[in-house]
Amino acid sequence: MIPPPDGGACVAMVGKDCVAIACDLRLGMQALTVSNNFPKIFSYGDVHLGLTGLATDVSTVSDLFRYKVNMYRLREERNISPQTMANLVSSSLYERRFGPYFVSPVIAGINQTSGKPFICGFDSIGCIDFAKDFIVSGTASDQLFGTCEGLWEPDLVSCACSGDMG
Amino acid sequence: MAALFSGAPPQGGPGYSFKQTPTMAPSGERQHGFYPYTDNGGSTLGISGADFTIMAGDTRSTSGYNINTRYAPKLFKIGGEGPDNKGARIVLSVVGFAADGDALKERLDTIVKMYKYQHGKPMSVSACAQRLSHVLYNKRFFPYYVHAILGGIDEDGKGALYSYDPVGSYEREQCRAAGAAASLIMPFLDNQVNFKNQYEPGSGTGHDLQAKVAQPLPRDTVESIVRDAFTSAVERHIEVGDGLQMMIITPNGVEETFTPLKRD
Amino acid sequence: MSSEWPDTLAAAPGQYAACGRGEEHGLGVHWEVLLGITGKDFTIIAASKAAMRGATVLKASDDKTRALNSHSLMAFSGEAGDTVQFAEFIQANIQLYSMRNSMELSPSATANFVRGELASALRSRRPYTVNLLLGGYDEIADKPTLYWIDYLASLAPVPYAAHGYAQYYCLSLLDKHHHPDIDFAQGMKILRMCSEELKRRLPIDFKGLMVKIITKDGIREEEYADDQNVAVP
Repeated sequence: MIPPPDGGACVAMVGKDCVAIACDLRLGMQALTVSNNFPKIFSYGDVHLGLTGLATDVSTVSDLFRYKVNMYRLREERNISPQTMANLVSSSLYERRFGPYFVSPVIAGINQTSGKPFICGFDSIGCIDFAKDFIVSGTASDQLFGTCEGLWEPDLVSCACSGDMG
Repeated sequence: MAALFSGAPPQGGPGYSFKQTPTMAPSGERQHGFYPYTDNGGSTLGISGADFTIMAGDTRSTSGYNINTRYAPKLFKIGGEGPDNKGARIVLSVVGFAADGDALKERLDTIVKMYKYQHGKPMSVSACAQRLSHVLYNKRFFPYYVHAILGGIDEDGKGALYSYDPVGSYEREQCRAAGAAASLIMPFLDNQVNFKNQYEPGSGTGHDLQAKVAQPLPRDTVESIVRDAFTSAVERHIEVGDGLQMMIITPNGVEETFTPLKRD
Repeated sequence: MSSEWPDTLAAAPGQYAACGRGEEHGLGVHWEVLLGITGKDFTIIAASKAAMRGATVLKASDDKTRALNSHSLMAFSGEAGDTVQFAEFIQANIQLYSMRNSMELSPSATANFVRGELASALRSRRPYTVNLLLGGYDEIADKPTLYWIDYLASLAPVPYAAHGYAQYYCLSLLDKHHHPDIDFAQGMKILRMCSEELKRRLPIDFKGLMVKIITKDGIREEEYADDQNVAVP
């Protein structure tokens, strides 16, 4: 039996020397909205992790990665890079291959060593989708795919990335 | 992402009308399941302007992961003279189950032609729109499995666009996407045609933001929006592709164009 | 791309009838009323007084709350044995923490601890089927707090909340009338509107509400008259 998702959407995008990541704030059970203040993006230093899916697993997984990233920082005495974070997320989710967390994570960040923007997405068991343009996830992923595919172009500047264009 | 595959095609093997043709019942007796409907994929879209309406649809016809043909039009001229619908001012687009779409087109075309024969004047789009609703509702309990869009020029010379559900609920709109990639195209149209989530630059932040007001778009702008919508849908939906058929309805007639789309 | 989940996740609604929110509970669970309202300097927690088993009311003075420490109160509803068992387990552990560390856990820390326990139970052999409201007063931030937690361990900080069928009747009322800076009298007035609506529209008698208040001075029970009749149009 698969639990129904709590509803939510997340999108990450690459622009000119920048990345953007956005999510909605709703927590609901089907048509009933329980909270309008339930963020789905979590920041771990230079890396931002978006999580959509089952709300309980959004919390569990974000807490788990806060712990893992904090331990990494203590051990390595540096921030985790987006690429390392991607592999950490992937292996952590695959660890639960036969009893997965019901989440579709999205990562956005800038690699502080190379200065290059980085985004990627995952399925619920950790298969990484390295995209050069954008990543969408959540119950509105179809709609986000359509809009992103239609509006995205290389080297968007940051004000356009945040949907503020004229 | 795997969620991409949630779209439609392989629910239970290839989309034959005879789903899992002869099957064995639990008792061991042979049973025949007959499904009168198939989803042939594809997408359509219509946008109305100040003095024109653009209808568009891809020309791929699918069943499951198979392509039946790369050229199966989903746009049909309605009314006019003879089998080529000369002088028609109304266009019907149908997406969903192609056989029902064809049957619906034939019915509506006959109705509109009979109207002119009986009344000696062409049928208005608003009348045609309401009649189409009745045609669909008449099959309320064995519906035409299609999402129809009707386009034309209204009595005031303005672009008119009507969209329908399979049982005849209808509404006049500025723009509408239908079919397999409707969920991909419609939010793009909301943004580019009705300027949803767009604000006047420099109008401030938060509550100061001034929403950009929608106004009728010029024809070349609309044409390029349609092309962008379909090239985008082709990238992300496997049931859309091969060719883009467009019909531009103006008071002077219907112009038809065809542009190739990706065939992968 | 080999996970089963995202495919099925987007499937038709109603497909999850067997695992939909709370649909596997026995009848009666959703009729239990839990309400929470925060204001300028207080949190109100209200819970129905009826203890129901099937069609029978076993008790009309049931207390569905436990004080976790001096400034946080947990209200619970759900499957019969699970509720009190889980609540008292949490209560004991929070008190143990206070004794060991000579300090009290903040409401947010408490909420996250409760969620953690519920979440790890969720993926165990036998999960707890308990819905919770956690009302508290954060003495450091000097602010009232309220946390909504369901049996799947979804946690949300909220200005006002409800569980069960009460959600459908009360959240709309609270959406209209609640402001973050209401005083205690206004809070009780909104609570009265909610309880009257529940009396008017819920098809069963939930035997009135037990009302508890959390302020900077601690937790207290508020006298709440439930004897007057509510006119039903």
